[in-house]
Amino acid sequence: MIKRLTIGQYRERYSFIHGLDARIKIFYVVVLGFLSFRLKFGLEMLIFSLFVFGLVYSAKMRLGELSKNLRPFYSVFIFLVVMYLIFSRSQIEKGMIYLWRFLMLIIISLALTFTTTIMDLIAAVEFFSKPLKVFGVKSRNVALMVSAAVRFIPVMFINFERSREAMSSRLADFRRIRHIKVVVLLMLQKMLKSASCLSDAVYARLYDENMEINKMPKLKINDYISMVAVAAFAVIIY
Amino acid sequence: MIQAKNVYFKYEDELILKNISLEIYEGSFTAIIGANGSGKTTLAKHFNAILLPAKGDVLVDGISTRKDELNARKNIGFVFQNFEDQIVYSTIEEDVAFGLENLGLEQDKIKRRAADTLKRLSISHLAKRNVNTLSLGQKQLAALSGVLAMKPRCIVFDEPTTMLDSRNKKSIMGIIKELNKKDKITVILVTNVLDDLKYVNNVVVLKEGRTIFNDKKSKLNNKILKVAGLYD
Repeated sequence: MIKRLTIGQYRERYSFIHGLDARIKIFYVVVLGFLSFRLKFGLEMLIFSLFVFGLVYSAKMRLGELSKNLRPFYSVFIFLVVMYLIFSRSQIEKGMIYLWRFLMLIIISLALTFTTTIMDLIAAVEFFSKPLKVFGVKSRNVALMVSAAVRFIPVMFINFERSREAMSSRLADFRRIRHIKVVVLLMLQKMLKSASCLSDAVYARLYDENMEINKMPKLKINDYISMVAVAAFAVIIY
Repeated sequence: MIQAKNVYFKYEDELILKNISLEIYEGSFTAIIGANGSGKTTLAKHFNAILLPAKGDVLVDGISTRKDELNARKNIGFVFQNFEDQIVYSTIEEDVAFGLENLGLEQDKIKRRAADTLKRLSISHLAKRNVNTLSLGQKQLAALSGVLAMKPRCIVFDEPTTMLDSRNKKSIMGIIKELNKKDKITVILVTNVLDDLKYVNNVVVLKEGRTIFNDKKSKLNNKILKVAGLYD
């Protein structure tokens, strides 16, 4: 099961986009996402799509990899198209625009995670969550929570699979609510135990939520070049 | 280096540790042994200030864990029994950096020290691998590298070989022995495997939360082990 969890994994390659600062890339995802919601059907969408596929190409992401990452969403796309065809045929054009936006957002996000290491992403999340300090939210805690989630979500699936197999070997029937409840509770129990151990381990390695760590490097020339390019694209298309 | 003075610890009305007093000397290799539920792990967690005594005191280099948790634990590393759960990040390289960031080191120094530690444990080739794809033995080394990189003067190993096969067991015990002999790191080994005692100098035997033996290994006999429930 773990081998199937490959959506949005980082690939170490040398590309212009790989070299950009993670903060800038997250900002572009937001800007491009916003832009995609303002575009009209037709030429604007075509230009935007070409730009996004240009990003994919410059990130050295192969079409096969892109298609593999999109595979889990195909069923959602098909379901939505069928729903529009059955219930809202007159609104099909609108539906296609929504689907296109959804697809673009996924591809843009994939380009981000494909070219950015988890550590850089987390450092950028930590950077962006610094203003939350005024609400009492500590950016280091936010970053740690994200890292723990990235690390332990696959473990949760493994635990679920182990419990399911153990129960199946003793003839459990997962069409019965009672058995589903047991397997979910078992998984939660294991996760709580892991969380407790992780919490001890984090403090054992001197974790201090109030500590300020500056992991972000200074912006480089390529970051500024990309800013000009994205700004120019936004002005042209908007 | 570590002193426990009349330590009591309570968990949900149950007294887990009862009046424990002992001393761990700098450079020593001490085993804490006892049957399941005797309080070994609970005691070991006091050395790193993960747990604080209900009564009594634990001093690390004279600093009370009660008064200054962070400074008391700076020199004490801890490798957990569930070592899989102590790895915070998805790759070893990132996980090793976690503790070093907490020490306040610069990014350049963190990278260098992480690389040196991985090389030392011969796992440089695994640096960028997803932790979930590693074998148990490799995960154990990953957990150890996260602690070792912080250069603690003392490391507590909580049942480090329980989940490993005999080859990995021998290998990890060899590394622990080398850390004590070559690097002069004080080692505290929590175990219930009598075979592990061949590596240590001092032994603390616990039974139902009390110390029933605390001396040189040479003075340990089968009668004590029998009382502790470790020998038939």
